[in-house]
Amino acid sequence: MSLDHRLEAQNLCAGYEKQAILDDVSIALPAGKITAIVGGNASGKSTLLRTLTRILPSVSGSVLLDGQSVHAMPSRKLAQIMGLLPQSPIAPEGITVADLVGRGRHPHHSLFSRWGAADDHAVEQALRATGIEKLAEREIDTLSGGQRQRAWIAMALAQETDLLLLDEPTTFLDVSHQIEVLDLLVDMNTSRGTTIAMVLHDLNLAARYADHLIAVADRGIHAEGPPSEILTESMVKAVFGLESRIITDPVSGTPSMVPIGRHKVVSRSCNRKIA
Amino acid sequence: MSIAITFPAPRTAPRRRINRRSALVLCLLGGGVIFLFALTLSCGRGCLAPSAVLSALFGSDSAGASFVVNDLRFPRAAMSIVTGLCFGLGGVAFQVMLRNPLASPDIVGISASAGAAAVFAIVILSLNGWIVSLVAVCAGLLVAFTIWGLSSGRGGAGGRLILVGIGISAMLDSVTAYIILEAPEWDRVEALRWLTGSVNGAQLSEVAPVFAAFILFGGLLAVSARDLDVLRLGDDTARALGVGADKTRLLVTLAAVGLVAFATSASGPIAFVAFLSGPIASRLLGGSTGILAASALTGAILVLAGDFTGQFLLPARLPVGVVTGAVGAPFLLYLIVRANKNGGSI
Ligand SMILES: Nc1ncnc2c1ncn2[C@@H]1O[C@H](COP(=O)(O)OP(=O)(O)O)[C@@H](O)[C@H]1O
Ligand SMILES: [Mg+2]
Repeated sequence: MSLDHRLEAQNLCAGYEKQAILDDVSIALPAGKITAIVGGNASGKSTLLRTLTRILPSVSGSVLLDGQSVHAMPSRKLAQIMGLLPQSPIAPEGITVADLVGRGRHPHHSLFSRWGAADDHAVEQALRATGIEKLAEREIDTLSGGQRQRAWIAMALAQETDLLLLDEPTTFLDVSHQIEVLDLLVDMNTSRGTTIAMVLHDLNLAARYADHLIAVADRGIHAEGPPSEILTESMVKAVFGLESRIITDPVSGTPSMVPIGRHKVVSRSCNRKIA
Repeated sequence: MSIAITFPAPRTAPRRRINRRSALVLCLLGGGVIFLFALTLSCGRGCLAPSAVLSALFGSDSAGASFVVNDLRFPRAAMSIVTGLCFGLGGVAFQVMLRNPLASPDIVGISASAGAAAVFAIVILSLNGWIVSLVAVCAGLLVAFTIWGLSSGRGGAGGRLILVGIGISAMLDSVTAYIILEAPEWDRVEALRWLTGSVNGAQLSEVAPVFAAFILFGGLLAVSARDLDVLRLGDDTARALGVGADKTRLLVTLAAVGLVAFATSASGPIAFVAFLSGPIASRLLGGSTGILAASALTGAILVLAGDFTGQFLLPARLPVGVVTGAVGAPFLLYLIVRANKNGGSI
């Protein structure tokens, strides 16, 4: 069972050279819970994750891990507690799945320590959890998009961190693999107590799988809280500029968003509870 | 630019399976270096028996071989080895760091700047020894950071970096040529050294600083090797794994420029050794660990073999750089053609 670590941002301003992307953001990731971050394209979701993990220096404000500024922590120590799967990681040509996953062990080694049984164990577990043991010796370049994504997730799992942040982990996956990955993350969360935060594009899956939902818009946090309170028609309108109806997901009982476009609309009446 | 990267990733400190292939390759390369070293010591105008070479080396001189072996051939062989090690290691460090085989110091102008600075220091400033090497290192670093600056921007380390480097390289080569013309006291051999690289007339006092540089900067690279490996997963992933991307890049750049600049200020920019060693070593290893060591040894073999070929196997006596240049140029063309086929823009 892992320790519950609390990651929070206080009055955080973040962005790139001339461009402020996030302005005065204060959030906390609930420890031991799953948080989903949603928002429009280029709204700053990746920027938020990158700043929280110290990959991008903040412009002002602070990021605190258990009350301590992450900037004051040694990189390796931080990487043993908090992992990030970036949105578009790069695989060196010719690297095999097992080797890629093994790179996740990097923060657990110093200059002189050697690969040991604990590392083997972590890699095997990660491969098994993501269901790619059979692909272990395959080269990454020869895999399908979904298999590749699972290899990257396995790398992040092998890092064995108590906090795991994932930037669009389901984006290249078909619907069954999306569900598989999300189920896997819930498994991690319940069995090891891993605190998870992930950027998702599918609002319905976000509402179904997350305990906590953060909606990013207009350089800040538009709303945050339990999905049942946050995923509303007015939120979808404000964050995505889209008319919609919210119904109840008959499978999970969580809110589910049905978009209303310019075409193919038969009925706007709604809130017909299916459950 | 999508120039395919020809470096299969080395295996992680390999899961149990001790890597036989990398041990075998390193042994073979080490053996090759020793063999060529022995060959260089024994063969010259006339060939000496191994026993004569040994007795000359270890002081019990019998047949006057001492002068030939100790004063002529040994410094030459030693110079070949250390410069080869430096070029091979410095080259592969750049290629791995920038994920591109074309990004080697001799293509992107680091060697050219070190060479031009060395010639400038010797001819115009009348310097010699260590100082020349230091001037070369400074010039190499200056050019390295200039290239970075001129080609930075998002996704910088691609085609732009290489084109800017090639431009700077051409400019500095003409500076070297001009200074050489202004140095009438130099003979053709000395001039050729600075144009293509040569180990002719090497002296042990010149070998020493290069060897020291190899130990110092090679050690720095060895310490950074693990971080360098993780850096290939992209900056974000590397940082998420606790690796300071900028710090690693800075250390590796410093070490690689140091290696190449010290070697260049002793032997001249021996053409294409830095460029060729990494890809050759990487093919031999086929994805096993040890690319840095294998590439260093490959560099030593290239210089030793190139020098031997230039001295004895060709109709005319040629400096080593002419031989390695003739081998390297077709490979450069091959990479460029392949990059274009893959839709890369260069
Ligand atoms: N490395 C960068 N340099 C400069 N601007 C960037 C960089 N990365 C992202 N941006 C800009 O920041 C904004 C937010 O990007 P991002 O956080 O990636 O959005 P999201 O992940 O929500 O799609 C975009 O306008 C994007 O163009
Ligand atoms: Mg993003």
